[in-house]
Amino acid sequence: MTLDRGEMIEQESVLGHDPSLEDQPEAAKEIAGKSPTQIALSRLRKDKVATLCIAVIVLLVLVAVLAPVITRIFGVYWNVSDPKAPNTTDVLAFDGYPKVGPPFNSFTWDHPLGVAPRLGYDNLAYLVYGLRTSLIVCVAATVISTIIGVVLGLMAGFSRGWVDRVISFITDLLLAFPFLLAMLALSPIITSRFSTDQDKLRIATITSLITILIIFGWMGLARLIRGQVLSLREREFILAAEVIGVPTRQILFKELLPNLIAPIVISISLGLPGFVAAEAGLSFLGLGISGYPSLGKMVSDAAPYYADYGLYLWLPVGAIALLTLSLNLLGDSVRDAFDPRTRR
Amino acid sequence: MLGYIVRRLMSAFLVVVLTSMFVFLLFFKGPSNPAEPLCNLNGKCTPEKLAILTEQLGYNDSVVHQYGIYVGGFFHDRTISFGPKYHCDAPCLGISFRTRNEVTSELVEKFPATLSIAVGGASIYLTLGVLLGTLAARRRGTLLDRSLVTFSVTVSAVPYYVIALMVWIYVSLQWKLIEDTSYHPITSDPLHWATGLALPWAVIGLTSSTAYARYSRGQMIETLGEDYVRTAVAKGVSERGVVIRHALRAAIVPIITIFGLDFAFLLTGTIFTEVIFQIDGVGKWAIQALRSPVDFPVVSATVLFGAVIIVLANLIVDLLYAVIDPRVRLA
Repeated sequence: MTLDRGEMIEQESVLGHDPSLEDQPEAAKEIAGKSPTQIALSRLRKDKVATLCIAVIVLLVLVAVLAPVITRIFGVYWNVSDPKAPNTTDVLAFDGYPKVGPPFNSFTWDHPLGVAPRLGYDNLAYLVYGLRTSLIVCVAATVISTIIGVVLGLMAGFSRGWVDRVISFITDLLLAFPFLLAMLALSPIITSRFSTDQDKLRIATITSLITILIIFGWMGLARLIRGQVLSLREREFILAAEVIGVPTRQILFKELLPNLIAPIVISISLGLPGFVAAEAGLSFLGLGISGYPSLGKMVSDAAPYYADYGLYLWLPVGAIALLTLSLNLLGDSVRDAFDPRTRR
Repeated sequence: MLGYIVRRLMSAFLVVVLTSMFVFLLFFKGPSNPAEPLCNLNGKCTPEKLAILTEQLGYNDSVVHQYGIYVGGFFHDRTISFGPKYHCDAPCLGISFRTRNEVTSELVEKFPATLSIAVGGASIYLTLGVLLGTLAARRRGTLLDRSLVTFSVTVSAVPYYVIALMVWIYVSLQWKLIEDTSYHPITSDPLHWATGLALPWAVIGLTSSTAYARYSRGQMIETLGEDYVRTAVAKGVSERGVVIRHALRAAIVPIITIFGLDFAFLLTGTIFTEVIFQIDGVGKWAIQALRSPVDFPVVSATVLFGAVIIVLANLIVDLLYAVIDPRVRLA
């Protein structure tokens, strides 16, 4: 590598491994500068809002990961067609309202958060599994769209000429279209194609949802990365690497990428809540996934019962609000922490 | 400038053509048989009935031939037959499977509601956002500024539809503060038009203004620090004059750009507003068409329409931007 030393320390520590410092005496370690990532992390640690948000998110992730354990402990089921689940006729009265638990009966440990009227699933089980779906969808969409955005952004920024022009055209084109329109177009097609097979339909809807979120989720980052690369590629260390004949791939991923950690981390942390909101919103409209529990679908199921069964509505609404709020606030804190202009 | 306009028009046209091909392929080749929902609509669908409908709708012809007929319908009248024959005036987007009306005329009927929601909501959030942002920038660092920023961060962190749904349920249904949320044509009764849409407007305005408030606050802080603003203050221009005449005029250009791009999203985003507030617009129409059996002509028409609106809005913003901002030079 032909980087100057300061640059190298910065890059190595960004990657979490710092061999240049290991064999040096203690004193040298102390005067060695902090990398931007380290500064950002220490700022984040002092940020009270961020700490609270991380705690909430960790809690929600734990609930989602432990969903099978939680449902087994309480003996509740989100899927009424589960052979072990109680018959809907056992838990629902003739008017569709639950026979046990809220809103009209006293609290019962069999269904701690009540039973859904008309549909008969257990609210607690549906909620934790819905949370699970939300998190799976948003993590999958974020990871893949980040990779695509980074790779295309690097390619567009570094290659002069038609590759850049094609990628930029596609970026601008997709940026102009809302994913809602794409989902509106795709959803009836998938439903009609797989309407005969419930298992296939369920897989198809979740894959198509994640795919659409990815297709419409990478452009912002790609654009950002491209802009950064455009300025970085004129810097001495890149020019030097080019001169001594370092392969392009290595320049892109070993020289440029470590300098782009901040925008990538920021885009990930701001992307997650967006995907959560998108998934729940699409399911609320009936465009999202079918066959899996989803918080958005629970909201649309519960909306008609606002008057006498407020708990049923507030559960999914609260879960969506809590998840997006904490993810968004954390994202803002991460952005502030990485921004060299903000001083605390 | 002229060259730029021609090039921009051409690329917009290209995008529209590509979108129409995409929509066509998706809706006419995507489903296992696009005639099936129609067949299921009236009683039992027998294989013979399905075969007749498929033949009548022309789904046995080649893709290019079908696309030709589909595009031809935009320019001249068409006759579409499934069961009885239907006459479809140009521009023809098909006949609704469910209502058996021309899709175009239904679209024309539903569009004013959507446009009203979008225009009303947008004017509220733009004014409110710029106003609050300017106020916060002038009183930077005070309690007002900080509470405004906190409020805006919190509101924009929660998805729009969650807020809209809760407002609809509590304000309109539970507490009955504003009971009537529906669309009445502005031509017949302007007052009723405004009162019927007041609640959706307020919700769109309040939730979307936060982003604009934050954005214009940032822009204003930046321009208020410019040298020419200091010059204006030094030569004794009143504070109001400096803020409005000097700073705001410079700060508003990027805001207008973002607004133009947003407006197209707002038009499609009214889907949530219409579904939640039960307003008969294009969005609710599209969502209703999705109910089984799917009304394919309606869905494909709304998707194509939405795409064209977005392309047009982008085109207008790009052209306007060149006019508004003298720094944008187009060779």
